[in-house]
Amino acid sequence: MDTNIDKVLENIRNEENVYTTGKVIKVNEYNIEVSGLTDVSFYEEVDISGKASGYVFAIYPNRVIVSLTQINDNVMVGDLVYALNHEYKCLFSLDSVGKVVDIFGNDLIAGKKFNNLIELPIDGVDIPLMDRSSVNRGLLTGISGIDLIYPIGRGQRQLIIGDKKTGKTQICLDAIVNQKNQNVVCIYVAIGKTKKEVKELYYDLNKNGAATYTVIMASFNDELPTKAYLTPYVALTVAQELMLQKFDVLVIIDDLKKHADVYRQISLTSDKVPGRDAYPSDIFYTHARMLEKGCQHKDGGSVTILPIVETKGSDITDYISTNIISITDGQIVLSKKNFDKGEKPAIDYGLSVSRLGGAVQKKDMSQLGTKIRRELLTYLDVRDIYELSDPSELSDNIKEKITYGNMIIDGLKQYKFSPRSEDEMKKIFSFLNKE
Amino acid sequence: MDVGKIIAIFEISIEVVLDDDVNVKIGDILEVADNPNYQFEIIEVTGTSATCISLNSTRGLKKGSVVRKKADSLEMEYSDAILGRLFDSYGNVIDDKNITSIAKRPINNKTISLKDLNVDANFLWTGIKVIDFFAPMQKGFKMGLLGGAGVGKTVLIKELIHNLYMESKIKAVFVGVGERTREGKELYDEVVASNLLDNMVMVFGQMSKNPVMRSKSIETGILAAEYLRDEKKEDVLLFVDNIYRYIQAKSEIAMELKEMLIENGYPSNTMNTVSNVEERISSTEDGSITSFQAIYIPADDYNDDAVQNIVSYMDGQIVLDRKIAELGLYPAIDVFKSTSRLIDKDKIGERHFHLVEEVLRYLTRYQELEEIIAVLGIDELSDNDKNIFHRSRKLRYYFSQPLHVSEQFTNIPGEYVKIEDVLNDVENILNGTYDNVDEDKFLFIGKYNG
Repeated sequence: MDTNIDKVLENIRNEENVYTTGKVIKVNEYNIEVSGLTDVSFYEEVDISGKASGYVFAIYPNRVIVSLTQINDNVMVGDLVYALNHEYKCLFSLDSVGKVVDIFGNDLIAGKKFNNLIELPIDGVDIPLMDRSSVNRGLLTGISGIDLIYPIGRGQRQLIIGDKKTGKTQICLDAIVNQKNQNVVCIYVAIGKTKKEVKELYYDLNKNGAATYTVIMASFNDELPTKAYLTPYVALTVAQELMLQKFDVLVIIDDLKKHADVYRQISLTSDKVPGRDAYPSDIFYTHARMLEKGCQHKDGGSVTILPIVETKGSDITDYISTNIISITDGQIVLSKKNFDKGEKPAIDYGLSVSRLGGAVQKKDMSQLGTKIRRELLTYLDVRDIYELSDPSELSDNIKEKITYGNMIIDGLKQYKFSPRSEDEMKKIFSFLNKE
Repeated sequence: MDVGKIIAIFEISIEVVLDDDVNVKIGDILEVADNPNYQFEIIEVTGTSATCISLNSTRGLKKGSVVRKKADSLEMEYSDAILGRLFDSYGNVIDDKNITSIAKRPINNKTISLKDLNVDANFLWTGIKVIDFFAPMQKGFKMGLLGGAGVGKTVLIKELIHNLYMESKIKAVFVGVGERTREGKELYDEVVASNLLDNMVMVFGQMSKNPVMRSKSIETGILAAEYLRDEKKEDVLLFVDNIYRYIQAKSEIAMELKEMLIENGYPSNTMNTVSNVEERISSTEDGSITSFQAIYIPADDYNDDAVQNIVSYMDGQIVLDRKIAELGLYPAIDVFKSTSRLIDKDKIGERHFHLVEEVLRYLTRYQELEEIIAVLGIDELSDNDKNIFHRSRKLRYYFSQPLHVSEQFTNIPGEYVKIEDVLNDVENILNGTYDNVDEDKFLFIGKYNG
């Protein structure tokens, strides 16, 4: 903050720039109204007398609304506001790997700012249609139920959705840990998680050897909602930059329901008209714009995104969930019922979907996967019908289906942080090849 | 010509204070004088100012910038040069190749008058069992493919493109409205790989684009179809994925402009908005436009206002159901909600009509029987009910189908099924001919070959 002011003063001294200034005329939590600032531009960075900073959010004929992203001291009516003559940027350091960071270039574990920071726009360019190519390289998670049945490809957006305590975050952590030596950079974005959860996660990843290629980017609930709103965009800008340098990047966003709620809060306090469930009408675009950053670039790099959404009462058909399902390239649905039965990872194999399917798998994995899925789903379908029947009177066909069904359910069980190789998976399900 | 200065800027709209004696009208396209990347469309004019929506992002736009008039409206190429090309919503070519313009037209063309409308036509079989059986098509029809998120709308649209466009010489227009950029590129790649690009025009306003861009792609796409119908006198296939996104984009614009919204955040003029595009998608003496339009159902709410508004223009509808998808049966269609105007004895004939009625009767009873079985078990059913139960399960499986475009999911080669085969198979399942065949034998097949 002080450096901003110094820069302004320095520039004024050198007469390099003439800054537009204005005065605060109204303050609410994180939006302030400013008079003056006669020729600012939209999304320009502004500084409020060294006390706070943010960006131009709306320009009216005779006033400007500034959205604050950092507040260090109480902003008062009458404070001087400087427009800094450049688009709002966030800060990132390449030393962030293995650290917990925020979008202002702070190392949160060490409690200080990085030295070698680069400036990044909060919203990178949209990769044009012709610069994208098809998603066809796999990104293995080490989880049988995913790699065989609902595979994830590099450049895919696959939603992880389920109730509280069904193992959503765990699946993503497993996926991160399995990227060891796979030349994938991972970014875990924490929105609305508690500080304790983030620190535990940091230790978990360290313990499992994932620290050398993982960045944790966090914003907490005791910080400004604007920061939480921007954090996933910044993470994806970082990911996109790396992708353009031909890296494969995996981004976890934990979670987007919280992000939607934060955005609703910001919208309602800025007088936007509420729509369905009081979310603003552009909530779909808010997430579509973000998740469309996930892609396979024609030059070789990719951004894979695993957004997480928390549901209530196992209902994946609420507004935000369906919005995000309609953006992503598939969803892994986690079921509370399976979780309680000990069938972990608690994937609901009926409701989960991959829109890419075998395109991102090896042929034999894909063939085995479709077989498992079909056997399992038809088993789940007949199980209820014959539940009350006398087992000795069932036809051989039905009996075999039930035996295989049970074996498949057992084979899909897997403990956390115990990834399987493709060969191990094939071995476990080799009984299906017998016919 | 300079028309004024920008005095207010928001996410997708701006306000311009007009210079004296400047005449502008709604629909005019303006641009910033020293940076033509910023362009706007006027949507409201007062004596001294104009409100505009921004065609691109307003980030970095400076208050006080001078704007000038660029054109009378958004325009798109209106000649044979459009064939085989890829456009964005504003009629710009985006496939990295040049275009030599011959003639241009505004994208917001007029609708068809009652006088010019033509409603006679032949059947159009799609080779997809559920569509041909429950909701048969004819040339010039509009088919809505409705479904919540992730139940298979796009796969169906792609199969229709495969079966109808790739197998025929009919010219086609594909419009991507607010859908995934990845899917757009993959479709483009597939059409190029099959050497079929020459008869197709593609227009994209995908979900990563601002609402103004998303709301315009349908108009641009329809103009391309109108060119083929009116100037080339051709029958045209129009594929739209997904028309709901058009209303959604309009809602976002209305919210930004602080209009009063109705329930669920839609603008109050949704009815006009829908009819302005749907009434253009019609057939005349010159040629027909047959359209398949995917319709997203937000929050699985089938009764959603926007959805029902669009559906009222459709001649037929296929409704996809999450519960069927959950069973792994694709296409996951809800047979009770899927139908078309042709389901009528006088149109499809006595036999087809009767079979549809009978199938629906069986499947209705099947639902009741499922509840009974959950409590009493299957052994308690009467012989008649047992027959209905098992035959219904076979029907349910039989209406799944290996599609050409979903081989990557099923590992089964896709099949085109003739309507006569569907009718024979269904008849045989219903009359008990196949009572001794395992139900699994009907899962993911084309026609039943024993």
